[in-house]
Amino acid sequence: MENNSLLHRIKEGILDTCYICVREMRGTITDEGVLIFCVLVPLLYPLLYSWIYNNEVVREVPVAIVDQSHTNASREYIRKFDASPDTKVAYYCTSLEEAKDLTAKQQVHGTLYFPEDFERRLYRGEQTKVGVYCDMSLMLTYKAIYQTAQVVASDMNAQIQIAQSTDYTKRDNEITTKPLDFDEVPIFNTTGGYGNAILPGVLMLILQQTLLLGIGLAAGTARENNRFKDLVPISKHYNGIFRIVLGKSLCYFMIYMVMGAYLALVIPHLYHFTSLVSAQAIIGLMVPYILACTFFGMMLSCLVRYRENVMLLVVFSSVPFLFMTGLSWPQSNIPGFWQGVATIIPSTFGVRGFMRISSMGATLQDIQTEYQALWIQVLVYFFATCVVYRYQIISTRRRAFNHMQRLKEMAETAKQLKGAGSDIDTQKDS
Amino acid sequence: MAGNKSYHRHSRNVSIKETIGCILHIAYREVGIMRKNPIYAFCTIFFPMVVILFFTSLMNEGQPVEMPVGVVDQDNTATSRQLIRQLDAFQTTHVVAHYPNMNEAREAIQRNQIYAFLLIPKGTTTGLMSDKQPKISFYYSSVSLVSGSLLYRDLKTISTLGSAGVGMTKLSAIGKTENEIRTFLQPIAVDLHMINNPWVNYNVYLSTTMVPGVLMIFIFLLTPYSIGTELKFRRSRQWIKMAGGNPYIALIGKLLPQTVLFLTMMYGFEFYVYYHLGFPHPGGIVPILLLGLLSVLACQGFGAFAFGLMPSLRMSMSTCSLWSVVSLSVCGATYPLFAMDSAIQSIAQMFPLRHYYMIYQMSIFNGFPLVDSWFNIMALCVFIILPIFTVWNIKRAMLIYTYIP
Repeated sequence: MENNSLLHRIKEGILDTCYICVREMRGTITDEGVLIFCVLVPLLYPLLYSWIYNNEVVREVPVAIVDQSHTNASREYIRKFDASPDTKVAYYCTSLEEAKDLTAKQQVHGTLYFPEDFERRLYRGEQTKVGVYCDMSLMLTYKAIYQTAQVVASDMNAQIQIAQSTDYTKRDNEITTKPLDFDEVPIFNTTGGYGNAILPGVLMLILQQTLLLGIGLAAGTARENNRFKDLVPISKHYNGIFRIVLGKSLCYFMIYMVMGAYLALVIPHLYHFTSLVSAQAIIGLMVPYILACTFFGMMLSCLVRYRENVMLLVVFSSVPFLFMTGLSWPQSNIPGFWQGVATIIPSTFGVRGFMRISSMGATLQDIQTEYQALWIQVLVYFFATCVVYRYQIISTRRRAFNHMQRLKEMAETAKQLKGAGSDIDTQKDS
Repeated sequence: MAGNKSYHRHSRNVSIKETIGCILHIAYREVGIMRKNPIYAFCTIFFPMVVILFFTSLMNEGQPVEMPVGVVDQDNTATSRQLIRQLDAFQTTHVVAHYPNMNEAREAIQRNQIYAFLLIPKGTTTGLMSDKQPKISFYYSSVSLVSGSLLYRDLKTISTLGSAGVGMTKLSAIGKTENEIRTFLQPIAVDLHMINNPWVNYNVYLSTTMVPGVLMIFIFLLTPYSIGTELKFRRSRQWIKMAGGNPYIALIGKLLPQTVLFLTMMYGFEFYVYYHLGFPHPGGIVPILLLGLLSVLACQGFGAFAFGLMPSLRMSMSTCSLWSVVSLSVCGATYPLFAMDSAIQSIAQMFPLRHYYMIYQMSIFNGFPLVDSWFNIMALCVFIILPIFTVWNIKRAMLIYTYIP
């Protein structure tokens, strides 16, 4: 008998879990707000972002030239500078003032200045200087202009050294100009592309933020539709915390495994971003990441009173969350306090792990810290969700009980009044 | 109630004084609403302050210093060790580990322990002594662009210095003076002028756009939220009635308290970064004040316009949230707009943050006259007057529609 009832309870629990999951799923599809954030945004937003960063690198940055030297050397420098892939000679000016004016009008992002004695100093055997003026409002244009100027200068320097030395063979020349040779190897993200650097982080963050929005909106709707403004309805299926939490999370987990696969695999493939993922690593990361995000969202959803408040709370947080991952400002240099805050948020580890899997081909062992942290978050947020839901259920029951009690009392008093009334009637009659 | 009636009676021929009275009356009502719903206090005061402190404290260093770098020294001589010591002495680089071979160093990058490494193969020093032109290599990861480009700079400098060191020893051995050696090694030198941000301070570069971008998200969202909740809590008819049926008065009165709060936050931020943290602002106070005012009003204008276009709380807020988050990317403060596809270059003009960034960098950061950013100032003004096109629809919605969840 005992065994039978236990089996029965397990069976009932599984059935209820499935029932809640199906209801939640139906809610997701019929609720426009949830549909937008859980399905449409994860599908379309990455396409938009990929389009924005599609060009990856900055080429042909326009630069103004102020050549007061007008000599062979300065013209050679300008020709080489113009021929470089990253920069373009857009204007020739007669003075620095004129070039400044062009910068103000956004026609150029930097200026090269050749003083009148540029070549003369070279032939005198003195060091000559080329002035490089950069508009610092954009780091990428500054980098393009400065690095190109350096490369052109060192290229011309090598030629001048060769001309001055008394070597006999080509090999001698090579050794004179560069006794210690070196190779520069961009080991990961070899193009140094902006999209390749930013997009993996943005993709993972979209997953988390849309999940938070979707769960929050669904919870807000549930609460507003409920008669007592409660999150958990009174029904024989919503009996027991584990089945509620598991049922709801199962629904989001199923939707987001599909979305996760789309974001992590399809988008990089469509736009030809670097993707070095291995099946084992990506599954090992995505399962805890999506679970952690789901429970994190469910835990927070209890705080939501009106559904629209969710948007106010979640949308802005995307930007600080992205910076906390160390995507832009390096992780090693994030102040300790913010490092601590970052550990609360699933996206911190999700983004870090995915960046390394996708851009660097890391294995699951390499991202051990990240996925362990994610599993800890899964456990902590799961139990926190259960606690919060338990509290919700208790308050729901109490409110419902009070309501019933009040109804009963009202009925009682009505009956008594009626009884009293009939008493009076009988008295009158007699 | 009596007051409302009198507004109504004179609605055709109201004097300025009455209009102002009406606006203040609605504004007073709005303050009451804002006090009751804690979300307003969070979104206008608490979160903006957190965001301001977050960004300015996150990048407080200005430029990342002492980033972890590894070394694979298979040569192990005085020369190679000197090279490593010189690398470690750079401000940006911190040599944290030695690895026996290249594979282990690569795995360390994959495990996020280092961002770059220098490889000095066996025989480098003997090769140098015997003029065989040995080769060293450095590997850097651009998965994080900031660390990638900064470490590239350091590693390249150290590798070039290796060559220069040899040249210097040789030349001084044949009796050249220091000046002659410098000229021989570097006949043409680059004289770099980093205008207005000579420290390459990332705080100056990023916080000045990211923080206003997040503030704008709040303005974008809170405007349709506050209009839409009138419908949701069934106060909309009362609201329009208080304005005597004039939707402009209703809208101005309603948004006025938020304007004041957001403007305080925006100016608070600007004074904090320009005058307390000392970010460069050769443009002076006039563009700072003008830009703060224009950008707050432009975002409110856009929010009200969006609600008039789609008079449902959910749709207008969803649109505004997507719009405001994308604006951080298309404003072109991190990845330049001219390097994006031409279609995006046009679309970007529809985002207030783009114009904020342009006015900021031209008139505040670079100190060029405001005339140079006239186009962007005009664009922000267009955003401010946008609600004119949809205000009739807001009024209609307030009187007819009911809230659909």
